[in-house]
Amino acid sequence: MVGLPARGKSLIAQKVVRYLHWLSIPAKTFNVGQYRRTETPTPSAEFFDTSNTEGERLRRAAAEAAINDMCKWFREGRGLIAIFDATNSVKSRRRWIQDRCQAEGIDTLFVESKCDDESIIMSNILEVKTTSPDYVGQDPEVAAQDFRDRIRNYEKVYQTLDEDEADLTYVKLIDVGKHVIINGIKDYLQSRVVYYLMNLHIKPRSIWLSRHGESRYNLEGKLGGDADISDRGEMYARALPGLVKQSVGDGRQLTVWTSTLKRTIQTARFLSFEKLEWKALDELDSGVCDGLTYAEVEERYPEDFVARDEDKYNYRYLGGESYRDVVIRLEPIIMELERSENILIVTHQAILRCIYAYFMNVPQERSPWMDIPLHTLIKLTPKAYSTLEEQFKADIPAVSTFREKGSSAKHQHSSGSSPSVTASNGSGAH
Amino acid sequence: MDTLLTAEAAANSPRFRRRSSTFIDAIHDLPETQEMAPAQLYSTESGRLFHSGRIVIATVGLPARGKTHISVAVARYLRWLGVKTHVFHLGDYRRATVGPGKEIPDDYFHVNASPSSVLLRNKILKKCREDILQFLDQENGQVAIYDAVNPLSVGRKALAKEFAKHQVQTLFIESHCTDERIIEENVRSVKISSPDYVGWSDEEAVKHYLGRIAARIPHFETMEEKELAWIKMINAGARVIVNNCNFGYLSQRIVFYLLNLHIKSRQTYFARAGTTAEEESYKADASISDEGRDYAEKMTQTLLKHREQEREEVIARGGPDNALKPLTVWTSTRRRTVETGEYLEVLGYRVRQRSQLSQLNPGVCEKKSEEQIRAEYPEEVAKHQADPYHHRYPRAESYHDLAVRLEPIILELEREHNDLLIIAHESVLRVLYGYLMACNATDIPKLEFPRNEIIEIIPSSYSNVAKRIHIPGLPDHVIPGSPEDLKTPIPPSAPGTISPFPGIGTPQILAEGQPIPSPPLAGTPTPRSPSQPVSPSQPLQFRKTTVNPSS
Repeated sequence: MVGLPARGKSLIAQKVVRYLHWLSIPAKTFNVGQYRRTETPTPSAEFFDTSNTEGERLRRAAAEAAINDMCKWFREGRGLIAIFDATNSVKSRRRWIQDRCQAEGIDTLFVESKCDDESIIMSNILEVKTTSPDYVGQDPEVAAQDFRDRIRNYEKVYQTLDEDEADLTYVKLIDVGKHVIINGIKDYLQSRVVYYLMNLHIKPRSIWLSRHGESRYNLEGKLGGDADISDRGEMYARALPGLVKQSVGDGRQLTVWTSTLKRTIQTARFLSFEKLEWKALDELDSGVCDGLTYAEVEERYPEDFVARDEDKYNYRYLGGESYRDVVIRLEPIIMELERSENILIVTHQAILRCIYAYFMNVPQERSPWMDIPLHTLIKLTPKAYSTLEEQFKADIPAVSTFREKGSSAKHQHSSGSSPSVTASNGSGAH
Repeated sequence: MDTLLTAEAAANSPRFRRRSSTFIDAIHDLPETQEMAPAQLYSTESGRLFHSGRIVIATVGLPARGKTHISVAVARYLRWLGVKTHVFHLGDYRRATVGPGKEIPDDYFHVNASPSSVLLRNKILKKCREDILQFLDQENGQVAIYDAVNPLSVGRKALAKEFAKHQVQTLFIESHCTDERIIEENVRSVKISSPDYVGWSDEEAVKHYLGRIAARIPHFETMEEKELAWIKMINAGARVIVNNCNFGYLSQRIVFYLLNLHIKSRQTYFARAGTTAEEESYKADASISDEGRDYAEKMTQTLLKHREQEREEVIARGGPDNALKPLTVWTSTRRRTVETGEYLEVLGYRVRQRSQLSQLNPGVCEKKSEEQIRAEYPEEVAKHQADPYHHRYPRAESYHDLAVRLEPIILELEREHNDLLIIAHESVLRVLYGYLMACNATDIPKLEFPRNEIIEIIPSSYSNVAKRIHIPGLPDHVIPGSPEDLKTPIPPSAPGTISPFPGIGTPQILAEGQPIPSPPLAGTPTPRSPSQPVSPSQPLQFRKTTVNPSS
């Protein structure tokens, strides 16, 4: 990363890591600030003055320690992409990083976030002064002032990435993607990361997620299919516009995305927003097991049944898909979600698990086992360092498509108050 | 027959009469009836297309900067994505207006041109602009690519303003070169092959051509306008600057695509997977049979032999004795393709499995005979025959769905520097071939990939060339691909049908009186009559339409 403080570097780093993890690309952030804090937990602005030799020495040592750990991490084969998160605001520092990485056979991609828009910087400063560990227990006003002074110290020596560094691979994002310079991209993964960065925006927005209303197959405990919604599913479809209105709060216009299967289209049909159908939002394809109940699957494909429980994320149904396959096909959807503003997605359990896992950073061992109840609207609001979640229950009873690991019990009936989405319990159908 | 009506309407359009080197895009022209669910166009990854509005992509750059290469590539990509795109070459309008064999005035591009030249310039611009707006307003066009030099900032601003009045967003793509070698290479490979330079030495011709450009277009301002939306590609993508392009889905996609585009030449090969014990079943994901293994071995040997032969031919023609480019192999994650690739893996080639390359999902049609499908889904059969590219059987994927699913693969394909062999099901090969060869969408479901042929795609400046490599010694019954089930031959691109221009290439400079050549046949599959000998570079042939999409 390259850029002055309060330019959203850590936010970008954090999002990229989450995105890569979701795609099963092992990635890790090495934050120089964290290394520095072990020596100087709450430094004042003078610490960052370039004429302060002691400060300079300590900051240099922190960078050295971080890069050593990073190189070690690569050597041990623990990951593919590391993010070296620091200001790296002068050319000599960037050259040093480039040389160190080159010596280890690591490719580099410098990502500079440059921003001259005062309002964006101010909102970043506000965020930082309330969340940064550097200002724990300090008066927010004093903290904000000190932070501005710290930025001024960096500004004195700041050198933006420019043409005489043309041999470096870099992307320079100016004013949150309004102007972008991309230099010397070498491979597909780099171009993917750059594309992802270009799609990020910081406008406030929310994403609403809902499963389709209870379907006839849900009632019979069958997998897959393209069934109509049940009477209770129909009740949910009718209740959905009210639920949406309640959770949106203001008169914001949403766009509704559904799959191409009947149960999601029927569920969304009373919503008065513009709707788009996406093939990529169709339910996980259970191949030969499509249309069977869990009991039948266990009876006919006992080995598969066990194999799936052992590694649900990677298990691919005979002739069908695995969760890993679903994530690959959802990647363009995630990209589009990052780019869009307010979206309501009506789709299926497995698909929602994957989308939810992306926003909430749920690891692969857990995401396929999350319980996402029927007849519940989930609202996700991405914030700088986390995603807020709210749930709105329709209070319309539905079967629970809950399956204990190792069990093949027919779906259990439950009341409208299904368990909430917590990634901790190890169950859930599909 | 709606496509025929479209063809007729198009043939009567002014553009057709002008015989531009480009023609209305037939790839994703849809029947204009209401049979198809309107949502279908948008039920794709292109979901946002609906919102992204209409765009004019205007190229900026001096001649020989690869503008047309970029326009062609972007058009091919967008059309394949399902975006109705058309390229307008200003040069065509210039030639049509000044008349055959006549030259535009010397000061045509000058800032202080004479009044008559300015008048001429405005007349030509106006005509082209009218056609662009006609395409966007009346013909449901979404992206018009305006291929012109657009050298001056003031002109570009006026252009964007003019289109904005019609609620059309303008996106400029500048190709800028600071590396003389790239320019010279471009001139050498593209520009001086024209009849004007017959008998010239390469070096002389390049020098003359560049001199002529400098005199013709003395004023050129690179893009710096903060308020316009533009992408500047410097030295064939070594550096890319993007300004104000975060307004829509398409603009971002185009940037991503351009980031992966490179100009190095490499081959792509397509091969089918070996036969399996359970041919008809999609869900079974069967292993290959002994015959399939025999095929895999023969295919591998044929391909390697062919590559070696081609290398020797290059050397025999006096080319450099370079080692072969490394060959990378992609298969799907389905057993039959993985197992077909095993021979290459054993030989040390890099084989990668890509789940996106899985065959088209046949949905309810799986294992069903023609009679059964007709009996059970008569309405679906009718819809399928009306639009085999976009129609989706219950639970199945359409070819359009498949294309959307394959989209990330396309970008990696553009990015790949090694030679590439793709082993996949026929349905996947059809779509990938359709992209590389800019095929008409209605033709894609009908492309044939017999098992005894490896297809080699050779890139060339404006349209790729396909070549078939025969695999000898295979038993006849494994050659036809998937089970054939519907015997209703429809007339493939009969006389009078649109023949989409495959290359959408730069117009060739014609000597006076020379007839306008017919376009190269890259995109239009020509039926191959059995008596004709198979020429190696002949495009693929049609097959009968089939009811079952997976066949």
